[in-house]
Amino acid sequence: MLDLSIEAVEVTFPGLATPALSIDSFHLPAGGHLAVTGASGSGKSTLVNILTGLERLKKGTIRWGGTDIASLSESRRDRWRGETIGLVMQDFHLFEGLSALDNILLPARLARVANAATVERARELLTIVGLSRPEQKVETMSRGEMQRVAVARAIVRKPAVIIADEPTASLDSESGAQVAELIVTLAEREGSTLMVVSHDPALIERFDNRIRLVGGRIAQADAQVAA
Amino acid sequence: MIRFILADLNRFRLGAFFIAAIVALAVALGVAVTLQERALRLGSARAAEKFDLIVGAAGSETQLVLSSVFLQPSALPLMTGKVLSDLEADPRVAWAAPIGFGDFFGTSPIVGTTTTLVKNLSAGVSEGAIFAREGEAVIGADVKLPMGSTVKPMHGTLGEGGHTHTELAYTVVGRLKPTGSAWDKAILVPIRAVWDIHGLGHHHDDGDADEHDHDHAAAGADAAKPADAKEPAGHDDHDGHDEHEHHAIDPNQAINEQWQGELPDLPAVVVKPKSIADAYKLRQQYRKDATLAVFPGEVLTTLYATLGDVKQVLSAVAAGAQLLVGAALILVIVMHIGQRRKQIGALRAFGAPREAVFGIVWLELFGLVATGIMAGLVLGYLAARVIAARLAADSGFHMPVGFAPEDMTSISILLIASALLCALPAIIAYRQPPASALRG
Repeated sequence: MLDLSIEAVEVTFPGLATPALSIDSFHLPAGGHLAVTGASGSGKSTLVNILTGLERLKKGTIRWGGTDIASLSESRRDRWRGETIGLVMQDFHLFEGLSALDNILLPARLARVANAATVERARELLTIVGLSRPEQKVETMSRGEMQRVAVARAIVRKPAVIIADEPTASLDSESGAQVAELIVTLAEREGSTLMVVSHDPALIERFDNRIRLVGGRIAQADAQVAA
Repeated sequence: MIRFILADLNRFRLGAFFIAAIVALAVALGVAVTLQERALRLGSARAAEKFDLIVGAAGSETQLVLSSVFLQPSALPLMTGKVLSDLEADPRVAWAAPIGFGDFFGTSPIVGTTTTLVKNLSAGVSEGAIFAREGEAVIGADVKLPMGSTVKPMHGTLGEGGHTHTELAYTVVGRLKPTGSAWDKAILVPIRAVWDIHGLGHHHDDGDADEHDHDHAAAGADAAKPADAKEPAGHDDHDGHDEHEHHAIDPNQAINEQWQGELPDLPAVVVKPKSIADAYKLRQQYRKDATLAVFPGEVLTTLYATLGDVKQVLSAVAAGAQLLVGAALILVIVMHIGQRRKQIGALRAFGAPREAVFGIVWLELFGLVATGIMAGLVLGYLAARVIAARLAADSGFHMPVGFAPEDMTSISILLIASALLCALPAIIAYRQPPASALRG
């Protein structure tokens, strides 16, 4: 469980006059849940990339529980991300040819941190997300099932933060609702800080804290979030 | 990681198979060239090792060696038979044996020689005995004839329009142990019988020899057809069998290997000198006027030098092919990595360290290439074996195909080079920023 603070962040891309993202100050308390909305091109993906350290921040600071992620080296940031952030993406990014269980464990195994307890937790999570066949190959699953595997993968290492980028956008409404429910309840159960980027109204309305991005800036902040 | 790589390879199994197969073929090409060249070198050196010094008529050194050591059919010039008796009498000579060619039985050359050479050529007989009478023959290990079968010599081969000798048919009385040389395909008979068949006794007409050398590609002894033979066959007085009108030869006549008196002209004499010093002196002495003396080993060394050039050309071709294959593979792989940006980015995004990404890409590629290299080694070895076996079947000349210690060096260099090359796409994957990879 980590809190997030953003200070004077500005992300520019070459050839673009206006910054893709520009946030003067933002704070999300530890264990807080936040929904980020906005039209496409409003800077949502950029926000996800810099918050997860996938992209290096050049201007401003982002601290997760006091860690300035821009100060970490590329390899340290990989390790930090693996330990701290559970990521769920629109396109699942599961690896074909591997079973559901192996997919959940793959990042942990590649980081050489998977032990018997991790495997046990992966099996438990599979049950929680409602999948009964751990050895089933992911390519034989429905899209909803795939995203549920992805959710289990995101939280198998007990991340302090869960970030979901359009987790329901490529699912039908029923599967989408299931996945949305899972993400929110699991984040609560694990006590993780949760941030969801979405324009799925059914998902957004579960959140009290919402921000809306317009042209890379926070245009509207609901509830107790400091703008 | 291994499981992920295997799943990945399985997903791209067709491409993976072709990459490994192309690498295997390129490697096999180089391996086959190297192994075959070495086999030829070792095999011929082994075949020549029984022949210390060969004396023949002045002419081509190479042809003398090829015809005597490898029994390659060819019209060797003849030298006077006196050379044989001189050598026999020479105190520096342990033994000297004449060889005479020209006749065939099927594709097996019939070589006239003496029991001395036969005994020194092979480690003895595997069945039967060495010939003791004029009508007896001992066959090389690879000649497929049963004991007791009849061999009717044919002058020249059928394909060359040869004719069958009717004067004498040999009876196979023994089979030699394998020598690994062309002599394994030969049928060895007493040289006296060869002379007798061709109407050569102690008379000889040089002009006649010249005429007929052109008629018979494989003329060894004087190539006189029975109809042309004006001279009655005759022996020197010691064998007590002077009169052979129309070459009527008594197959039960015990062979005589004393070379006194006048002997027919000869294509070659195999000489075993008593010492190395004697060998050099003999070679010097017989390297003038009408005779030629050669160390087959030395002639082969010269041939290998030529062969070495050929091998270098072939190796360069093989290396060029390997280089092209390597370059093409790098191109394909780099493109493939580009297509997998998303997958690689995702691995990073979900917490796989970039070192793991490097490891996956490298291990996956190197696994494929190394498999290809290993398969290529086996394939090249098998190809060399097949080629050697086919050559052995044709010529009886055995070539030992095998890897040598120095091959380990080249294989290691190849593996290290491919390991380094595989690191290139791995580095590309390692350096790919995960965010941009996901965006695409």
